[in-house]
This record gives sequence, structure tokens and C-alpha cells, in this order.
Amino acid sequence: MVKRLMVKGTLTFVGIMSVSTVVGYLFKVLGFPETNIVIVYLLAIQVMAWINENFIMGILSSIGATLTFNYFFTEPYLTLSVHDPSYIITFIIMTFSSILTSTLTSQVKRNAALAKAREKETAVLYNLTNQLTDAMDSKSISEIVTRNLSSFLTRGVGLVVCNESGVLQHHFIYQEGATKVNREIEDFDNFYESIRSLRSPYYASETFMDYPINGRTELLGVLRIPIIPGNVLDQKQQVLIHSFIESTALALERIRITEQRSIDREVANQERFRSTLLRSISHDLRTPLASILGNTEVLIQMAKVTDSEVFKNTLEGIHDEANWLYHMVENILSFTKLQEGKLAARKQLELVEEVVGSVIERFSKNTSTRNIEVKVPEEPLYVPMDAKLIEQVLINILDNAHKHTEEKDTIQLNIYLDESKNEMVCSIRNDGSSIAKSDLPHLFELFYSAQKQGVKGKNNFGLGLPICQAIIHAHGGTIQLHNLEDEKGVEVLFTLPMEVEIDE
Amino acid sequence: MNERTEYILIIEDDHQISRFISYALELEGYKTKNANTAQGGLSMLVTEKISLVLLDLGLPDFDGLEVIKRIREWSEIPIIVISARDADKEKAIALDQGADDFLSKPFSAVELMARIRVAFRHVIRKNSFEMRTTQTVGELLMDFDKRILFKSSQEVHLTPLEYQLMVLLFKNVGKVITNRMILSEIWGHNYGTDTQVLRTLMAGLRRKIEENPAKPQYIITEIGVGYRLKDE
Repeated sequence: MVKRLMVKGTLTFVGIMSVSTVVGYLFKVLGFPETNIVIVYLLAIQVMAWINENFIMGILSSIGATLTFNYFFTEPYLTLSVHDPSYIITFIIMTFSSILTSTLTSQVKRNAALAKAREKETAVLYNLTNQLTDAMDSKSISEIVTRNLSSFLTRGVGLVVCNESGVLQHHFIYQEGATKVNREIEDFDNFYESIRSLRSPYYASETFMDYPINGRTELLGVLRIPIIPGNVLDQKQQVLIHSFIESTALALERIRITEQRSIDREVANQERFRSTLLRSISHDLRTPLASILGNTEVLIQMAKVTDSEVFKNTLEGIHDEANWLYHMVENILSFTKLQEGKLAARKQLELVEEVVGSVIERFSKNTSTRNIEVKVPEEPLYVPMDAKLIEQVLINILDNAHKHTEEKDTIQLNIYLDESKNEMVCSIRNDGSSIAKSDLPHLFELFYSAQKQGVKGKNNFGLGLPICQAIIHAHGGTIQLHNLEDEKGVEVLFTLPMEVEIDE
Repeated sequence: MNERTEYILIIEDDHQISRFISYALELEGYKTKNANTAQGGLSMLVTEKISLVLLDLGLPDFDGLEVIKRIREWSEIPIIVISARDADKEKAIALDQGADDFLSKPFSAVELMARIRVAFRHVIRKNSFEMRTTQTVGELLMDFDKRILFKSSQEVHLTPLEYQLMVLLFKNVGKVITNRMILSEIWGHNYGTDTQVLRTLMAGLRRKIEENPAKPQYIITEIGVGYRLKDE
């Protein structure tokens, strides 16, 4: 390198000095004043500074030029000695002006070179960002990044990306020159562990420097730059690599968000389809069930007239089952509506005793064998709620209580205002059988089937409690169920907040 | 089976339900006619001698509310509407448009008979021009002349508004009256639809005549629709 510079410098020096000296002689022969010759030499120095890449070479050339002038054009000629001391001044000025020129020139050249390099970097980054903006998936991002970076660094570049679920893939795209290959990561577990526990900007193994590409919350990929002995990345390249990582992270994150969004949309669509299907089926089931209920009831009346015990019992069985199915269907309908968020918004101030009264009326019409004790506050209590939904909650809870009690057992319904929490509390207790401990945590799960034997009617808790929970949650309240002390019965407690935005 | 002379028209598009209603009514001795469209029902009303209409609100050809409006243009015949339980608004509108009562699906034959009996009783009362001076419901006795309500022979002290409300309920005993009807009857036609004041009045009244306002013996709330003074 240095040798080449010296050879180039010397050749340039000899060449230009020869031309200047010839021109100087010509001027002398033609009788031009000596100043012109000095000017020619100054020009020669500038040309040499321009051609020379090296600052030192420029200065050496300047001194050489002064000596050459001294040698050829000052008396005694063809020696380096000077008779006229005034020439010393000329030499000093010449030397200094040459050094100055040389310095300035090489500085300008260096700046130009820097600007050029910076421009190239900018162009590379611009290209990258531009292409990344158009990329539609992580595969094309890998290709764009490796192609651009490898052409800039003139060495191989690999990129490992994470798949849709955020898991790092086991293979990666590697580009070197024009060849692009899909490579497997050797010893993936070790690799993954090293990246995960990394504290520095990159992890250097024997073959690769691995730069993790981090998104806002998680790892998005890993950039792999091969280690080539004797060819270390310089400061500029390091900086550029970091810029690349930034752009790549942005692009990968964008893709990730887009993919997530489309997955979400898909899930939402499926959900909507399912609930629409469920609702339309339920809706269609209601009418035939209503007619089964009605028809069996007529038959029961007829059986009573003819006094046929067998008929009557069989028909009552059908009637009970149909009735259970009907409630199930009503529950499914409410549930699908709730899931779509359609019912949550219809809250109005309701007088609690009216809602409870209407439920008790409806409930005891069918199930008059339980003794239901009801207590509401003496002062009329208005609570924001969707009355139809709260009715359904009460019906479901009373229905469960009914199933767990015997004839003439007592069901207590107690409603009061908890002023400290500013909420209405409703407690429904029955003194029937308690619920198995193993079932307690699951009662609010959809379609949970209790293992307990000896529960009358349906063993399946089905939809009742999950729906109650969904409705109460939609009101911003809480619901819980627990066994009473000494395992003598069950209490369901639910609350409704008093302060809720009212929809008029 | 006791024979009756009344014909009841069932306008219902679901064949099975229509048949069950017919059987139930016939068991009670009523005679029935069936129509499965609004159009068919309306023309049957003109040509046949019908005493009461059971009208399903979800008919294929016409809106049930439209049917009520058309019938009410020329006839005072009792109309009982049948609709889904969650269709409160529809029920309230149907009642305000002139229907006499409603039944929510699924309903039992017992409920159906009770509603029909009440409806017929009101027809008889309306036609008899009899000015009753007293009326009893359970332990309650209303003396219209003295403007006093008794419960178990004890006078119940009512405010003027409570008394008006009680009179309205007595006059419609067994039948549902909508919030709107009560509001316009007691507070005047231009009062609007704020039911809060009505519910407060009702809460006060219940505390005077019911043992437990949340387990009423007399005044039943039909949520989202109105109130009913229990009969029988």
C-alpha cells in the first residue's frame, strides 16, 4: 500500500518536475523574468498535491520541488548552493505555500471521499427502506436485507426470522455475492440460548457474529455476519449494520402486526359465524319446543280426565324435559347476544322489588312446592340494570336452588344495599344439599358436568351459571357461589354496581 | 265438558301451536276457528261470528300490530296477543294499540284459560252498564262511593294519586295495563313516558296493601310492559 503510494508519488514527482523544468528553461531562453518560473513550479506543486493521495507525499513533493528549482534555476546552476541570500526567502515562501496548498488539497480530497462514502451509505439505507416498505412477508424481508447488506459489506450475510407465533426458525436465508442459500442453524438450542441471554449488541461464535433484532416487546430475528479472519468490520460498517437492524426490526414488526391482525380477524369471523349459527338454531328450536310443551300439557289434562296414571306420568316426563330444553335454548340465545355485546348496553334504573316480584311470580307458577322467602329493602331501591337479563339470572339461580332442594324446603332471597361499596347485593340461599368441593371451582365453566350423584333432574349444570356470570359481568358486578357452614346448603351471592352510565 | 257458544279465532302461523291451542280451548268447551295468515284472520272476523281473537304477533304476511289497528277500526272484540317472552316493546305497543292482554311463549293452557276468562268477564261488565259501588279482590275491598279501600275490613289510607291508581287497577282487574295507559290516565295525556314517578307511586301503594312488596299478592309487575291486579 505504502510502497505503491511512494512509487506513484515518485513517478508523479519526476514527471511533473521534468515538465516544469523544461518549461522553466524555455522561459529562461525566451528571457521571461524568473518570477514566471516560480509560478510554474507552484502550479506543479498544486498538481502533485492533487494527484497524490497521501498528505506526507504531498509535503515531500513540495520540498523536492523547491530543491529542484534551486538546483536548476538559481546561481550557481546545477548545485544546491545559493549565492544570493534573497533566494532563501523565495525558497521559504515557496516551501510554505507548497505545504499549505498540499494540506488544503488533501483535506478537500479526504472530505470528498468521506462525503462519497456517506452518500453511498445513505443510498444503501434508502434502498433498503424503500424495498422493505413494499415487502409483504418475512421471507421477502429476509431476501431484501441479506441482498442489500451483503452487497454493501461485500461478504456473506444471513438472517434468521421468527414465524407468526414468534418462534425463532431453525433455518435462515444466507446470501453471498449473487448466490442465495437456505441454511440450517447448527446447534440451534445453544444458539437460541445465547441470543436469549445476550447482554451485548451481538454474540460472536466461531463462525458468525449474531446480532439480535428486537421489536418493542420480543425478539423478531437474528442477523448473522460471518467472521472472516483478517477482515474485521470497521466502525462505519458496524454503524451501518445497526441501521440495518433498526430498519429490519421495523419492517418485521409491521409484518407481525399485520399477520396478527388478519389472524384476529379470522378468529372473530369464526366466532361470529358460530354464534350466528347457534342463535339461529336456538331460535328455530323455540317454536317446536313451545308446541311440544303445549301439546303435552293438553294431553296431561286429558289423562287427568281419564284418570290414567301411566299416561299422566309419561307425559309429565316429556313436559319436564321439553321445559328444560326450552330454558336451555333461552339461555343459549342470551349467551350469544351477550357475546356479541348487544345486551350489555341496555341498562336502566329499575325498582328491584318489581324485578324480583316478577321472577318469583313466574317461578312459583311452575314450582310452587318450595317455600321462597324474599326480603328487599324497606326504602324502594332503584338499581341500574337490564331487567330482562337480571330476571334470567334470578330464574337460573332459583332453578338451581330448586334442583338441590326437596319439597317444602326453604329458599331465601335477600337483597340489600352495601353503602360502603355502593352496590346492590343479592344473596340466594337454600338449605338443600351442598356442592362437592371438586365441583366448586368449575361451576361457572361452560357445559361443566358435575360428578355428583343424586342431584335431581339434570346432572349437567350446563349453561345456567356461566350465563349468570356473563350477565353479571356485563353489568360490572360480581357473582360467587359457596357452600354454607356445616355444608348445609348453598349460597349464591351477586352484586350490581349502583353507579353505571344509564342508557336512556 | 261444559258447552259454550263463544267462537274463538286463533290467528297463528305455526300449525302445531295453533292445534294445541284449539285442543286446549275445546277441552274447556270453547269453539275455535283457525287462520294461519293475518289476511285470512281478518276476513274470517268479518264473515264469522267471533267472540275473541288470539293473535300471534309474528305472522308471515302482516305485522301483528297492523292487524290490531285494522280490527280496532271497527270492532271492540277482545284481542289477546301471543309473542316471545323477550319482546316487551312489541307487547307494550300492541296493548297501547288496543289489544286487551298478552301471553308470552311458551304459555300453559292454564294461563291461556285465565286470560280468556278475564277478557270475557270484561266484555260482560262493559255491556251490563252496571254501576258497581264495591268490588273485592282477595282481602281487598274497594268502595267506589265512599272512595275508601279496605284490606281485611281495615281502612287503607291512600293518597289521592294512590286511590286513582287503585281504581284504575280495579276497573281492569285481571288484565294488564301498560305504563303508558296509567301515566296518561292519572297524570294526563301529555305527561310523557317517564315511568320513574309511576314506579315510586306503585312502591308506596304496595307497601300499604302487600305483605311483602317483592312477593306481591295483588299487584303483579309485567316487566317492561305494565301492571296487573291479580284476579282469582
